Amino acid sequence: MTRFQKMIFGLQEFSLLIKDIFAHFGSVKDNWTETIQEMYLIGTKSFFLIFLGGLFTGIILAIETGHQLETFGATAWIAKTVSLGMVRELGPVITGLLLAARTGAKNTSELGAMQLSEQIDALRAFGASPVEKLVIPRTIAALVMFLPLTLIADIVGILGGMLVSNQTFHSDISVFWNTAVTSLKMKDLFVGFLKPIFFGFFIATISCYFGLTTKGGTTGLGKNTINAVVYSSALILVIDFIFTKVVWELL
Amino acid sequence: MIELKNISITLNDNVILDDVTLSIEMGMNTIILGPSGAGKSSILKIILGLWKPDNGEIIFEGKNVCKMTDDEILQLRKKVGIVFQGNALFDSLTVAENILYFLPDKKKLSENEPKYKIEELLSFVNLSGTENLYPEELSGGMKKRVAIARALAFNPQVILFDEPTTGLDPINTESVLELIEKLKQNGTTSVIVTHILDDAIEVGDNFIVINEGKIVEAGSLEKILRSKNPFVKEFFKRFIEENHNPFIRISKEVNK
Repeated sequence: MTRFQKMIFGLQEFSLLIKDIFAHFGSVKDNWTETIQEMYLIGTKSFFLIFLGGLFTGIILAIETGHQLETFGATAWIAKTVSLGMVRELGPVITGLLLAARTGAKNTSELGAMQLSEQIDALRAFGASPVEKLVIPRTIAALVMFLPLTLIADIVGILGGMLVSNQTFHSDISVFWNTAVTSLKMKDLFVGFLKPIFFGFFIATISCYFGLTTKGGTTGLGKNTINAVVYSSALILVIDFIFTKVVWELL
Repeated sequence: MIELKNISITLNDNVILDDVTLSIEMGMNTIILGPSGAGKSSILKIILGLWKPDNGEIIFEGKNVCKMTDDEILQLRKKVGIVFQGNALFDSLTVAENILYFLPDKKKLSENEPKYKIEELLSFVNLSGTENLYPEELSGGMKKRVAIARALAFNPQVILFDEPTTGLDPINTESVLELIEKLKQNGTTSVIVTHILDDAIEVGDNFIVINEGKIVEAGSLEKILRSKNPFVKEFFKRFIEENHNPFIRISKEVNK
């Protein structure tokens, strides 16, 4: 099979996995324990990483834009730049990229190890569906948890920008906060909070797909884990572009 | 009877099975013998419907497994259990949870029923008291016996064993073989894939020898030993030599 044929075959298999996920979405009621456990592992356990990611993104954004705006005496615009930048773009994208690495690698390595040790075959052999037992709980957990994590990154980023702006450019905290909040329109919030749902869905499904198709021992597992993170990260950037260019203009 | 008719399967341009036809009699221990990579384990995966062959049909209880609906395949898998080569136990679950995980109709069972079922199954495989241990706390032989207990949870008519004694020490090997014999006495059909001749001969009733995806000989042990096929002769050479060696023969008889 040529490289191109393999790619088409892979896309077909991935599409079938997505079809399976939608077809068996209702099975989540039989797998609540697994879903809650995944929510804890994907969501709660990622809190510190997202907190740090959001905080430093907001701080760097405030410093970089602050230095440029200072030359025009327009430091009052830092709040608006940080707020819109975090909510519309950087909050969702940084959260997505960090979770693509953390959650994507976790899902692929777990499912890949299960595939290599015949545990996936065992599930099927004993009449259980790997999609229902393993993929759907992870997908739902990502769909539910990515939104609050993005919200945390947004808020922490704006707060970080506010503190740096106050210390470095002597902006007033209350003015900064008021400007940051009032600059946000419903359209900004809608786009900013719609992105993580798409990011979460694709990170979960891509990483599960690579996990379930692992073969070739530990080398294959390592390769598939890298692929899962790379493909998820690349797709996040593509989806972000589509939202910024197409969806934003349609709204 | 389980019948495989003209089964062929190719994976990534490699011929795994080539026009394989065989039948497995119920209530007997059927051994599928052959070297590593001969296609033995593929037969088990095809019987269970985990792999779909490119050609041919698998007949179980008069129905073609290849043409079964998803629901029919689920019903089939409740009648046919499997013990994987690597056991395939779930690391994050205890022994009891591993067995309970696949227990059918758990919701219909009363409060204490799962507990009694686990105790009964673990007692059958001589592992009472290990309910709360995790797979990493068990030896290779114990893991194998838990895998057998898990396969028995459905009360299957047929159990497929993929290399059940590979990597086990002689004591654990003996206990696994004893379990297979015990299952036969209970009326369970076993299909055992192995490349270990001694173990195969100890529990086997019917033998199928496979090489490079093709069946080269099938029948009773006597028929196999009389085979003129060069591969079969080579494969059984050591066994025949040992049984002609008086010291080894006497040693085996004394041990029995």
